Amino acid sequence: MEELEEQLLREVLSFYRGKKNELIPILLEVQGNFSYLPEDAIQLIASFLNIAEGEIYSVASFYAQFRLLPLGRQCVTVCRGTACHIRGSHQILQEIEKAVGVKEGETSSDMEYTLETVACIGCCALAPCLRINNNVHGEMTLEKVRGLFNPESSSGLSLDGRG
Amino acid sequence: MMDKVSFTIDGLEVVVDNGTSVLEAALRNNIYIPHLCYHPDLEARGACRLCIVEIGGGELVTSCRMPVESGMVVKTKSPKIEKIIRPVVELLIADHHASCASCPSSSHCELQKLMAHLRIDRRRVRRLRLPKVKAPLDTTNPCFDYDPNKCVLCGICLQTCESIHRVSALYYVGRGYTTRIAFYGDKSRCESCRECVTRCPVGALISRKT
Ligand code: SF4
Ligand code: FES
Repeated sequence: MEELEEQLLREVLSFYRGKKNELIPILLEVQGNFSYLPEDAIQLIASFLNIAEGEIYSVASFYAQFRLLPLGRQCVTVCRGTACHIRGSHQILQEIEKAVGVKEGETSSDMEYTLETVACIGCCALAPCLRINNNVHGEMTLEKVRGLFNPESSSGLSLDGRG
Repeated sequence: MMDKVSFTIDGLEVVVDNGTSVLEAALRNNIYIPHLCYHPDLEARGACRLCIVEIGGGELVTSCRMPVESGMVVKTKSPKIEKIIRPVVELLIADHHASCASCPSSSHCELQKLMAHLRIDRRRVRRLRLPKVKAPLDTTNPCFDYDPNKCVLCGICLQTCESIHRVSALYYVGRGYTTRIAFYGDKSRCESCRECVTRCPVGALISRKT
């Protein structure tokens, strides 16, 4: 683990007392800082809370929200809720898979894209919709997908949200 | 206080030590009650819910966690019990991606015993949606393999490891349909006692010959 990251992690931990029941808040906060739960961080948290690493892995893998692999710079979340499903989210997803070359749940090897699906983004009126980092794109069509993910426009998009 | 209690199980009057669970009392008297997560050397957790019996006026309880009480009337078979545990066992079998023919645990497998006890017809189970792909064998542990296709997720192995070595080297990972047992991180924690392999009620943990 790099020095800076370790420093950040130690700072996060300094707000906790080392009780076992602090595990989930700690994991949430660490993930908030690193976008995922790095292996080194898990080791450090385990010794901080005096529990086995396996136990943390068990908890982290139970909740869909925790990730054990880093996110791409652009995290693309396709909604597969009822409204979006009916309005063709499946085709949208396939089109994105084709355009960015990764399958659902994967991250591209250049760390540019992570592709995910969720059960509902919360704007069914805009179905079918997707989210790139923190920006929601509604009323998607295959055309719009191609526009969003072709190489020329992607450089502009990567400025979105996170930064 | 007296340390013997007498109660009735399936019409049979039985006397056992005070504090014995209904399941243990039954097994000791050659009455089989279905069970997967119970092991005589471990504290009963009541995780599999297969050992339910009817007591008194029809209340359903997990017999592994129910101490015998004096004068208790226990029924181990009834349509009500059957209705609950049969689907559970059928689902377990549907998710049990393995055939008994080549399994080394065949004939001393608790799941087989359960199937025979409930007279479960494998053909009837096929109406359920079976898992499409066979999960690969986990060979990360130095002295045994783990076959997720056979595991019934009873938790006996984790509980065994924890009770012997204080901190378990095995954990549940994932959730729902994809839950498995896994070893994580510090693999050297495993002391190769193989007690988990011995206690696994099915054939999910397989000792490797070295
Ligand atoms: S490996 Fe065996 S003992 Fe462990 S949970 Fe699976 S079935 Fe139970
Ligand atoms: S044996 Fe009682 S719940 Fe599993």
